[in-house]
Amino acid sequence: MTTVEQLFGGRTAVVVDDVVGPSRAGEIRTRLDRAGYARYALLDRGSYGVLADPQEPELFGALIEIAARTTGRALALAEVRALRLGPGDYLLAHHDRIHDDHPVELALDLSPASVPGAELHYRRRGQVYFRVPCRPGSLAIVDRGPTVSCNHTYVSKRNAAASVVRLMMLLRDR
Amino acid sequence: MWQLGPGWSDEAELARVWRAAQPFSHLVFDDLVPGNRLPELLAILEEEPVHRYEGDIFAFEASAPEPTTPELRELRASFASVLGPALSRITGRQVGRADMRAYAYRVGHYLLPHADHQDDLGRVIAYAYYLPSPEPPTGGELELFACRAEHGELVATESAGLIEPAPNRLVVFEVSTLSLHQVREVLSGLRLSLAGWFYP
Repeated sequence: MTTVEQLFGGRTAVVVDDVVGPSRAGEIRTRLDRAGYARYALLDRGSYGVLADPQEPELFGALIEIAARTTGRALALAEVRALRLGPGDYLLAHHDRIHDDHPVELALDLSPASVPGAELHYRRRGQVYFRVPCRPGSLAIVDRGPTVSCNHTYVSKRNAAASVVRLMMLLRDR
Repeated sequence: MWQLGPGWSDEAELARVWRAAQPFSHLVFDDLVPGNRLPELLAILEEEPVHRYEGDIFAFEASAPEPTTPELRELRASFASVLGPALSRITGRQVGRADMRAYAYRVGHYLLPHADHQDDLGRVIAYAYYLPSPEPPTGGELELFACRAEHGELVATESAGLIEPAPNRLVVFEVSTLSLHQVREVLSGLRLSLAGWFYP
């Protein structure tokens, strides 16, 4: 039988600060830049740079360990991608996938500097229940239920130097 | 209040422009309200409360969907009764009633790309009327996008036109699944408008 808790999900939603220091984040950003982002521009859904399947096995292992400790679940990497948003960029909630198998999503903030207002919003039935501010080095850990969706908020053009880099990982039970 | 000036006299030409407009049918009319009536219009709007609205595609202040004052309800009704018949003839789409909300886009506010079409709402023509602002905005343009669809899904979108929110300007455009548009972020000043849709 499906429980109410399983239906509504979102059991874990936390941000762990200082998971990655500024110099290591810079090194990772450089490798991601070298690997090359592709531009996504179907504008009714999003506008951002995306790098599918980046190769950072050591980092992934460390992040999975933090997620496993936090959630109490044995987890394995299912999907990973890096997103880079500049001024005017966004990723809308209806562009996000719905997951009905309760994966855990990680968002590691690799941005070079904090960008006020550039947030990750987790929504349940359309309503924001968890806001993740742009805080370099922090890791958001979110247990995603079938009613949870996510959007990356619009990055203002008033900050011409704004650059938001997020490593997005989806973990499933081992 | 609302007056169809000389710019509305040649409906055949307006119909041609409507049909030929890219990336989708639209028209722009300047000086919609006689200059001496603008203070009266602004006075009506000053009485209407606005609230902040925020979603993943928008951030702005707006009045409630249903006006709270009889004056704004009357303004909405006269807007539909004056413009509806002319727009029906020009666009070939029969419209009657219109809704109307007042919008205030302050610095940092935006409305990201979207099409207004929803199967169950019956929106036929969208409109935006730009009001004089005490702090004229930079940014806040209406941007129109050219779209390509395959099997009902958008597969390409590209910027195809900008319309400045000049005071006393009315923009009308067709509502369809391909009429993708946005209000670009206001970078300074204040963008004031009345906007909504015409319905059958």
